[in-house]
Order: sequence, then structure tokens, then C-alpha cells
Amino acid sequence: MKSISLGQYYASGSILHKLDPRTKVLLGMLYIVCTFLCKNIIAFGLLFLSGILLIAIAKIPFKIILRSLRPIIFIMLFTVVINVFWTTGDRLLFSWSFINIYAEGLYNALFMAIRIIMLITGTSLFLTYTTTPIQLTDAIERLLAPLKRIKVPVHEFSMMMTIALRFVPTLIDETERIMSAQKARGADFSNGSLVKRAKALIPILVPLFVSAFRRADELATAMECRCYHGGEGRTKMTVTRMQGSDITALFAMIVFGTVIVLINYYAAKYGIGYTM
Amino acid sequence: MSEYKIALTGVTYRYSPDTPYETRALDNVSVGFESGKITGVIGHTGSGKSTLIQMLNGLLKPDSGEVTLDGADIWANPKKISSVRFKVGMVMQYPEYQLFEETVRKDIAFGPQNMGMNEDEVKKAVEDAAAVVGLTEEQLEKSPFDLSGGQKRRAAIAGIMAMKPEVLVLDEPAAGLDPEGRESILNAVEKYRNETGATVIIVSHSMEDMARRCDNIVVMSHSKIILNGKCDEVFTNSEKLTDAGLDIPQITRLMMLLRSKGVDVDSKIYTVDRAEQALLKLFAEREATR
Repeated sequence: MKSISLGQYYASGSILHKLDPRTKVLLGMLYIVCTFLCKNIIAFGLLFLSGILLIAIAKIPFKIILRSLRPIIFIMLFTVVINVFWTTGDRLLFSWSFINIYAEGLYNALFMAIRIIMLITGTSLFLTYTTTPIQLTDAIERLLAPLKRIKVPVHEFSMMMTIALRFVPTLIDETERIMSAQKARGADFSNGSLVKRAKALIPILVPLFVSAFRRADELATAMECRCYHGGEGRTKMTVTRMQGSDITALFAMIVFGTVIVLINYYAAKYGIGYTM
Repeated sequence: MSEYKIALTGVTYRYSPDTPYETRALDNVSVGFESGKITGVIGHTGSGKSTLIQMLNGLLKPDSGEVTLDGADIWANPKKISSVRFKVGMVMQYPEYQLFEETVRKDIAFGPQNMGMNEDEVKKAVEDAAAVVGLTEEQLEKSPFDLSGGQKRRAAIAGIMAMKPEVLVLDEPAAGLDPEGRESILNAVEKYRNETGATVIIVSHSMEDMARRCDNIVVMSHSKIILNGKCDEVFTNSEKLTDAGLDIPQITRLMMLLRSKGVDVDSKIYTVDRAEQALLKLFAEREATR
């Protein structure tokens, strides 16, 4: 249970950690766009290098990044297989009864794999490894602030997100505790038929829901006691400001995107490398 | 080691190994718990008490070292660990949060049913356990969520006692209860021991509760055991207790103060009853000499 890694915050105090969380949300979004802009093998190579560079800048151990990729292995294999077997092209490499493998298929499979890896690594580098959940929801609230004009409850939305994120570890701990307690009473979660195993979850789910409701109730009371009444007129303890480094980072990301577009364009025009 | 019901030998355990958050919770710990005795485990928050007792019924597996029940390694056959869990009953912290059934009776019956007892045996086990903790017939038919805090706690403890464990382990059984609630829980535990001859291990912060109920005391600090012995040996070792960030029982402190002021009392007293006797005796002597 502890190994669930939704890309947890990793405090290494790098330059990325010190950027304004709003910048990192924007950088994350731009990076996603960049991964989808890539069309040419040179662009993909550049994308891959940029990922490694980012990991180095953020000072996150490589092992932790690899661990966060483990849950997507299946999706990746699936895409690779689909691309290898179902892409048609001009250069036939291998053919046996109904199976035709083209060089284009292999390229596309490689591209998709890189794209998925970079998508996950890039976003978790900007959004979760280097930004605490609280900073993140704060940044989202401030980025969406203009929507308040058209009566979107931005503050309430971000408060709900903050609370939900805050209670994920608590509820995981709680689940573990209840599981231990029921195991101590001889409950068996891993053996038996599907129905039996589903039934075995009742002794966990009932106490878990009871305690979640109790916590919600207590939290609501505690917030009211401290005069919480929504976002109106509420000030922040720490107000982050955009600085020179934020502008530089955003600028670098835009340059990176432009370079990729240019590579796509010129590589296709002069026929350098493979373009999907 | 043969007189020990359950024992740890050279047990080491780490949380989140090989990550930046790695913490050593038990460091080469060896300790035995005497059969039929009540042993108190005390220590500061984070000293490794809870980890220690989770070793006893195989909820955690030691990284190295051995846990033996009746002289046999409990991890000799990992598939049989559930039979160990039936012999070593574990009451976790705030056990009332594990209640889930529609009635208290059904909830207490959950453990015995998992053990494979037949209906009559389950019924008897439930009623015996309810009698030990002092739950009435009427309360057994209520929803566990309609009970008071102390009653819930007793119902949860009865759920473990109904499994008739040979070793009963309780983690902070009296935490967060009023004095009356604490008394009734600790009385129930003592009663269970007296009726079944089980080995009892209690983790607690309260020196006073421990001093009164326990035969032996184990003191933990920084993942190690620093004191282990009879109550009077441990509670009078004020230096080591203070080093571990713990208090000596208030009454012992009072006796030590009196002694330092020149009153001739035994500074090894750690219960209010014995202190009362000693002081009354002192007054009687003074009356006589006057």
C-alpha cells in the first residue's frame, strides 16, 4: 500500500522546486503540448534529452522516476504492440501469413513509447515531484481566478481539492490500520472466490467510511470554529510572486516548443530522418 | 528462554527500506515475555513500541532475527501465520474504529467465526467475552455505533478476547478514556488473565496504570530496550527513565522528595496503596514515640 506513488513530493531543494507553482503548472501544460508536437525522429531525440536534463535539474534520483513509470508499463506495451502490428507503410521488414511488420510501425511504436514516458515524467517533474499538493491547488486557484467573474466557484473547488489531497495519505494509513486490526481477528483478504473476497472487504469498508464521515464532520466543525466562510476576502499566508527565473523558464519552454516545430518542418521538407 | 511464552531474538525492522524516508524502528531487540504474567511496554512516542508488538502476531515480519511462540519460530511456515494470529490476540490502538457489524454480538463473533468455531461455541465465546468486559445482554443487541466511547472500546476488546488467545497484546488500551473507563478496561484485562492464565502485554504511556497492574516492565527508547525487569527494579531506576524521556510514577517522585527532606520512607514505592501504608506506619511510629 505504501508503494503507491502518485509521484509524491521529493524535497531536494533544486531550482525547479523554487519556481512559482503557477509557472510550473504552465510549464507542465506546455511540456504536454511539446510532447504532442514532436513528429520527427530528431525532435523525439531532443524531447528525450530534455527529459533527462529536467530530471538532472530537479535532482530527483533516477530510481524514483523509474518506479513512477511502473504502473504505465501495461499501457505502454499495449500501444507499442498496436503500433508495431497495425501500422502500414512502404518498407516491409517482415511478413508471415497475416502479420506484416513495417519499419514505419517500429518507428511509430518507439515514438509512442517515448511520448508516453515523457508525458508522465515531464508532468510529474513539474507538478508533483517539485510542487507540494497545497502549492499546486493554490496555483490552480490563482490561475483560474478570472473565472470567478462568471460565477465559477474557483475557491471552493480548489479547497475541495486541497482537502481531498490532504486526506489521501491519512485514509491510506487508516485502511492499513483497519486491515491489520481485522487480520488480527482472522480476516482473510487474499484467498477464496471472488464473491468471498468481495465480502471480506466489508469489515474494512464499513469502518473506513464511518471514520471518513467522522473526519469530515470534525474538519467542518474545526473550520467553522476558525471562522472559515469561503474564499471572499480571504488572504494567503504566503503569496508567491513571479520572478526573473520564472520568466526565463517559461521563455525556455516556448523556445523548446518552437525548435521542435521548426525541426518537424525542415526535417519533413528536406526528408531528414523519419517523420510520422 | 524456556519460561518465556513469546520472545524476540535479535529482531531488526526498518520502515520504507532503501528510500530517503528509511527509519529503523527496531534495532537488534531481544526480549521475552513471561508466561501468565502482565508485562507493560513503555516508551516515548516513536520509540518502537507499536512496531515491537506488531512483531508478536506476525503483522510485521522482522528484517532479521526471530520471533518465537512456545519456542517455535512463527515465520517457520509463512502460510500458517494465521494460526499464530489466533493464538496471539492483538488489540490495536483505538480498536473501536474496527467495529463494523450490525450488532455488538455479531461483531464480537467475527473473530471466533473466522477461527471456524461452530455456532454453539461462538455463542458461548461471545457471552464469556462480554461478561469479562462487562457488556450487558441488552448492549449485545445494540448497534456498535450507538454505544458510548468506553463501551465501544470494551466491545472491540471483547472481539479479541472471544478468540481465547493465549497471548493478549493491547496497544494503549486506555488511551483517551475517562478514569472510570480506564479502570474498567484494565480491570477486564486483569480479569481475563486471571480466568484464562493468558500472557498479557500492554503498551501504555501511563506510568501509574502500569505500576499498579503489571508484573514486569519493558522500557523502550530509540528502537532499543533500555530496561527490562520487575516493576520495582524498573520504576526506581529514575536516571534511565528520565534519559528515555519518561517520568517516574508521581508517587515514587513524592517518596524520593520526602526522603531527600529527611523523612525515613522507602523510595522504591511505586503505587499509591503502598505509599499510603508506609506513611500510615510512619505516623503510627511517631504517635508511639511522642
